[in-house]
Amino acid sequence: MAMDFPDMLASSIHDIKNSLSLISNTLSDLTTNADNHFADSRQVNLLQHEVLRVNNNLVHLLTLYKLGNNGLMIDIRAHNVEELLEEVVASNQAVCTALGIDLRYQCDPTLSGYFDFELMRSVIESSIGNAQRYARKQILLTANHEDNYLVIRIEDDGTGFPAALLELPKESEYAISIMQFSGRTRLGLLFAYKIAQLHHVNDRTGHIQLRNRRTLPGGCFELWLP
Amino acid sequence: MATSEFSDKKFLIVDDFADMRSVLRNILRSMEVVQIDLASNGQEAISRLEKRRYDVILCDYNLGEGRDGQQILEEARHRQLIGIDTIFIMITAENTRDMVMAAVEHTPDTYLTKPFTRELLQTRLNKLFGQKANLSAINRHLLAKDYTAAITEMDALIAKAPKNVSELLKLEAEICLSANRYDDAMAIYQDVLSERDVRWARLGIGKVLFYTKQYAQAEENFTNLLALDNNLLEAYDYLARTQMALGRFQDAEKTLTTAVRISPRGFKRQCFLADVALTNGNTELAEVAYTHASSIGRHSIHNHPSIMGGLAKSLTANGKHPEALKVAGQIQTTFPTHHEAIFYEAAVTAVIKTNQGERAAADEALKIAEQAMGESGIALSSTLGLEMVKTYSQLGAHDKAKRILEKTIANNHDDEDFLTEVKQVCHTAGIAEDGIRTIREIQQEIVKTNNAGVQLIKQGQFDAAIHLLEQAADDMPGNKTVNLNAAKALIMKMEKLGPTAAEVQQVRGFVERVQRVAPDDWRLSDVVSHLQKLANKV
Repeated sequence: MAMDFPDMLASSIHDIKNSLSLISNTLSDLTTNADNHFADSRQVNLLQHEVLRVNNNLVHLLTLYKLGNNGLMIDIRAHNVEELLEEVVASNQAVCTALGIDLRYQCDPTLSGYFDFELMRSVIESSIGNAQRYARKQILLTANHEDNYLVIRIEDDGTGFPAALLELPKESEYAISIMQFSGRTRLGLLFAYKIAQLHHVNDRTGHIQLRNRRTLPGGCFELWLP
Repeated sequence: MATSEFSDKKFLIVDDFADMRSVLRNILRSMEVVQIDLASNGQEAISRLEKRRYDVILCDYNLGEGRDGQQILEEARHRQLIGIDTIFIMITAENTRDMVMAAVEHTPDTYLTKPFTRELLQTRLNKLFGQKANLSAINRHLLAKDYTAAITEMDALIAKAPKNVSELLKLEAEICLSANRYDDAMAIYQDVLSERDVRWARLGIGKVLFYTKQYAQAEENFTNLLALDNNLLEAYDYLARTQMALGRFQDAEKTLTTAVRISPRGFKRQCFLADVALTNGNTELAEVAYTHASSIGRHSIHNHPSIMGGLAKSLTANGKHPEALKVAGQIQTTFPTHHEAIFYEAAVTAVIKTNQGERAAADEALKIAEQAMGESGIALSSTLGLEMVKTYSQLGAHDKAKRILEKTIANNHDDEDFLTEVKQVCHTAGIAEDGIRTIREIQQEIVKTNNAGVQLIKQGQFDAAIHLLEQAADDMPGNKTVNLNAAKALIMKMEKLGPTAAEVQQVRGFVERVQRVAPDDWRLSDVVSHLQKLANKV
């Protein structure tokens, strides 16, 4: 029987994800086993980091594909925000520790917000993945209510975003401007922007914002959700 | 990091990929778990579950040939191979929404998307063990169908403002729906919506409208929801049921066709579409849907002889008599222990033989069906009754069809889904008006008897009331409401005048009938607890 593209995609994704799981968990077994000695342990950690990036990219690609084909199922409901931050920190803790980066979150335990849990997790994880490349010692996640929005920030102590990225136009032209950039952040930003936009209430729409030197000296990625 | 909290727990890993099983096992070992069993497919998983009680099951959704993860979960819950405190984690390759939103009755406790780290699994397990402990009492009440106690417990839990309060509210509203407490469910949904427009609460309002028979508003609700999100599968299911209730059978078929295109793996939806299409006379669509349903159903605990029966009926309706006979002939071998298998095989064989012009063979098959019907207590079952009505009609035995139809309606006079199906059958047969009139007459008759009974009780004439209601219950042994009322009349008498062993025994008889035809009826637990108190005094 002939397979159509979505079928092929689904079955390839299953295989790729299995492989990624294997690579990632084998790497982590390698590094946690005290009997193993590496000339440069940073190389192994970089591999770990890259596995997560491949996975993030795959998720972005698939999600954007589904979004384009009107096949993305979204489920926005009330969640405790700390539970989200706790999970993304848990997911990325091992790699950050290996890279010598302190990853933590600050959040009122009672803070809640309306969002799609899985999609938000992807956005934050890919932002952490990006920050890992620039951070020197620290990545900080915070969440607050500001101006009737839930604001989740991912900050690092690196060199900050380049000026051109900070000056991206708002709203409608955003997607077009992002695509004019080259480099690794492009797909991640487009993804974050599209997912934020899916969160809207009446006249308020979710959006993203990049800035530098907020509480840490480096970049600050902001997610604003109504 | 404290990992020892899971060290005494029993884990089962289900994955078809050997390397993935060892990855998962290594993760668990690093968390100091020692009791770990492995299974590589559904068959192995089920036989493991039959032998041992696990605390946590980590199950991959995609297992190649045989059962998928969802079908393992359904079978495990259905056969009570896992307890209410067991944590079932479904591991999936991609974002899980397709499966979550498939509106399956049994959802896992959580989904994990590959790849995940040890730390994430640990965080998730901590959270789940905490939640299970909180819900333990509520789950026990739900298992006993004691909805009132479950709701009281839930209110107390919500009052403590836990982190997952929104999830608990959703659960409480669903319990209210099961308990027929529609006003309470509505209040929760409206309360949630006053804060924010969330889908599950909007959907909930639609469900309340549907169950309270406000079909026009229900339809508007579901249509609006689908305009906002055309992937919301549960809204399609309820929209189709609403359209059926409104007598718009073709529209229901269209709605289900769309839903099946979005999620072809939903077994119950495929069956629903197949049944609707067949009764609508859209036999080609029915054949396609039944074919899908029997292929998905092969590994499902919910598979049923009626699916193959339906497939054979649509095949013969499409002129494919030899194929139809072949399918019919496989019903009993596919369901060797199912007591209705012989009935479905015989009933559809009678239809096929009639279509082939083999009258004698048809009559012979019909006799087998009639005999099987008697043995499996067809008087009690709405589905079998209706199946027999359809068979008689196709064979031209209209008098017999009418008699069974009336009897089946009397046994199910307040079962809306069943009555809707009766109306659809009459509609397609071109006797819609007759059908509606027959239903109304039978309903009026039952309501009249009921009211007379209530009146007699009010006047203190217990024996007269009991006599009246008992007779009705014996005439309609499959009618849950009538039997419950007879039980209630006896209970009221005993509560006033003191219980007797004979009367307690009588009530038990009525309760058992209801348990057989409607084990999930929301009124049962109340009657049973009253009965228990009286029985203790005898």
